[in-house]
Amino acid sequence: MILTENKAIIICIMNLKYKIRQWQYLFFSLGFPIMFTLLFYFFLGADIFKYSFPGMVIYTTAAGTPSAAIAFSVNKTSGMLERLDTMPTGRQNIFLGALLSETIVNALQIVIIFILGYIILQIPVIGILELLIGFLVALLFGISSVGIGIIIASISKTPDIANAIALFYYLPMMFLSGALFPFESPIVFFTPPFWAKQIFLQVTVLGNGLFDNLYSSSMIGVTAELTAIPLWGGVLITLAFTIGFILIGILIFQKKTRQ
Amino acid sequence: MSDLIQETNIIEIINLKKHFKEIKAVDGISLEIPRGELFSILGPNGAGKTTLVKMLTTILTPTSGDAKIGSYSIKTQKEDIVKIIGVCPQDVVIYDVLTAEENVEFVARMNGIPKEEAHLKASELLEKFGIAGKQMWAKKFSGGMKRRLNLAMSLVHEPKILFLDEPTAGLDPQARRLVWDFIGDLKQKDITIILMTHDMIEADSLSDHIAIIDQGKLIAQGTPMELKEKFGSDNVLEIITFKEEEMELLLKQVTVKNLSFIADCKAIGKRKLFIAFQGGLRNLETILSLIIENLEEVENMKFRQNSLEDVFLNLTGRRLRDK
Repeated sequence: MILTENKAIIICIMNLKYKIRQWQYLFFSLGFPIMFTLLFYFFLGADIFKYSFPGMVIYTTAAGTPSAAIAFSVNKTSGMLERLDTMPTGRQNIFLGALLSETIVNALQIVIIFILGYIILQIPVIGILELLIGFLVALLFGISSVGIGIIIASISKTPDIANAIALFYYLPMMFLSGALFPFESPIVFFTPPFWAKQIFLQVTVLGNGLFDNLYSSSMIGVTAELTAIPLWGGVLITLAFTIGFILIGILIFQKKTRQ
Repeated sequence: MSDLIQETNIIEIINLKKHFKEIKAVDGISLEIPRGELFSILGPNGAGKTTLVKMLTTILTPTSGDAKIGSYSIKTQKEDIVKIIGVCPQDVVIYDVLTAEENVEFVARMNGIPKEEAHLKASELLEKFGIAGKQMWAKKFSGGMKRRLNLAMSLVHEPKILFLDEPTAGLDPQARRLVWDFIGDLKQKDITIILMTHDMIEADSLSDHIAIIDQGKLIAQGTPMELKEKFGSDNVLEIITFKEEEMELLLKQVTVKNLSFIADCKAIGKRKLFIAFQGGLRNLETILSLIIENLEEVENMKFRQNSLEDVFLNLTGRRLRDK
């Protein structure tokens, strides 16, 4: 089959059109992390900022949670999901199309933050491979954020409620995971952003390889302890979070919208 | 698809039930809908119409019973059913930041129509609905244009069975007429149309058969004429004469003739005669002949024909259902 006739691709393109045409939402959802990045840069200074930048990238990709929560909730409450259900679309294509479009937007957001960080603010680049690993880990985390967004959309009665719940989850999670500020507590291990941020930090800032061990926080060389988990193990944990959230999201969404 | 063409009844509903906890939204409905007909489903708000149609269009799964759409079961062959149906929902369900063409094309492509063909079909259809070439986003459309777009989206893939849930609600008379004409054209194309409406004139003028449901049950079924004859009120003719004696003469003549189709004939006040009668225009003609034979002129005359609205109210009552 020609790729452009694939229904998931058609839904993805339509979702992207929809997002791009609501440029204010795109601008402000991206403007928030850009503003945070600049604030942190001027507040911390260039030398320390490079340790905070991974948190900014993770913060940006976590925006997939409110974005997906609102998108799925709008589809659910507007009747569009029901309308699509009366066509030979297939729920799998609806999910795949939405996941693809959210991932593309997420990837674009990472690229913009990378341009801001590595080109405009001149954060040192260790290597292209390290940057690529960082990009992929951030993207994987971004997809897990979409999964949480689907879960939130499933339990929300309106897009406004979905947005409120997403923000209620998103901001505290950023602090609890130590993504924005170093936080030294066993709690961080239960938060998906911690793993993505820590891998990104150790690979792109310290130049660690995937077989090096993971530290317990950003305070490497100060108070952080070396754990027994290698970075590739952290990647697997992020992957497990991603698959888990997506599957749980789809299952709950199906259950709540199919009577 | 060959089964679909051979079957006389394109839809067969067999003791279909849908319960939401204690609420029996649809409670054992059985119906047969012939192929190529316009079949209307009427009922007060909350009667179970939408739930019934949501089951027939595979959105809801029945609690028990089954229905065959084409020859496919709504329980086990949902994937086959969605290929032959089109659904125009009651609420306008469109992508508001897409243009009309983009909306229709999207639906066409979800129904497996290739890109170029989808574009062509969308343009043709929107031309018929008077919204072609509008490059603005659908959210800037008037309410009527949105409704027409909503309907166009359900038609682009040329379904065998079309479900229309109040397609003319909120339309101005011109747009309503356009939609009625379009529905008339669809009937010529052998498409079976299931229409849900609260507009009794629409149901009366368009439908081949009508089913009335209330409290989840089928309470009446037939052609509009059959329903009016069986469940309707009498036709009413009111005549106001110039003189009191003219009215008395007329009352006497009608009484003497002892016409079997007259249900009631009485004087109201001194110059007004009230005649309630059954049957159609032929009986009205007989009464009018009687008037012409006996009187040269009347001051005023009012005629109210037995309507589908009478049938509806007689069967479902006048109590509000969604208070």
